[in-house]
Amino acid sequence: MNAKNDIIELSLPFKADYAGTARLTASGVANRMGFDIETIEDIKVAISEVCSRLIKMGSASAASFKIVFVIGKDALLIRFECEDKSLKCIFSNADGELGVAIITALMDNVELCTSGKYLLSMSKTLKGKM
Amino acid sequence: MSSELKLTEEKTEDSVKIYLSGEVDIYTAQDLKEKLYGIIDSSRKDLVIDCKDLNYIDSTGLGIFVGTLKKARSYESKIYISNLKENIKKLFVITGLDKLFIIKE
Repeated sequence: MNAKNDIIELSLPFKADYAGTARLTASGVANRMGFDIETIEDIKVAISEVCSRLIKMGSASAASFKIVFVIGKDALLIRFECEDKSLKCIFSNADGELGVAIITALMDNVELCTSGKYLLSMSKTLKGKM
Repeated sequence: MSSELKLTEEKTEDSVKIYLSGEVDIYTAQDLKEKLYGIIDSSRKDLVIDCKDLNYIDSTGLGIFVGTLKKARSYESKIYISNLKENIKKLFVITGLDKLFIIKE
């Protein structure tokens, strides 16, 4: 990842109505990068898991959260950001276990608790381009 | 774009067959929960959930399947899940739910 990477940002309200929008966007970005259909499905599921979690938790101070797609030459990095800094380690409760199992199995690298700059980040490498 | 989910049921003498079509995510999950819980509570029979036309499910939906299974067990009923697409079957395996449910090809 470097400064020349293309970046796509999607800002979504904390509403269940838009989980499908996140999946559609992820699908478009991953398809454009050349991921195969099975991997695109994996990325969609992982992103949707995080969106669902955020929407369930909600925010008292922020109206929306942001999904940032960083399009690298050989990998897709996805960061979740929110102005509400009280949202941290969103999968730390026991009821997040299924979601964590799914995200960590489907993505190559997952940072569930970041140092504070982002809420969460995960990435997927393009096979054959490592 | 909001997700869509359709559920149709077919009652037989000893079971209820449920056809799911569309997507189960946080938007459609509450509707699925109410319908599945309603069916198992009223029928107390085995459920056969046909997922041939189910394109997507996330952990919210899987959690509802688990909740329904708990209810089914309290009625000494079983839940069979059939025709899972590969991308969904993968989630059952990842979460270990393939060992909890009776998965039919």
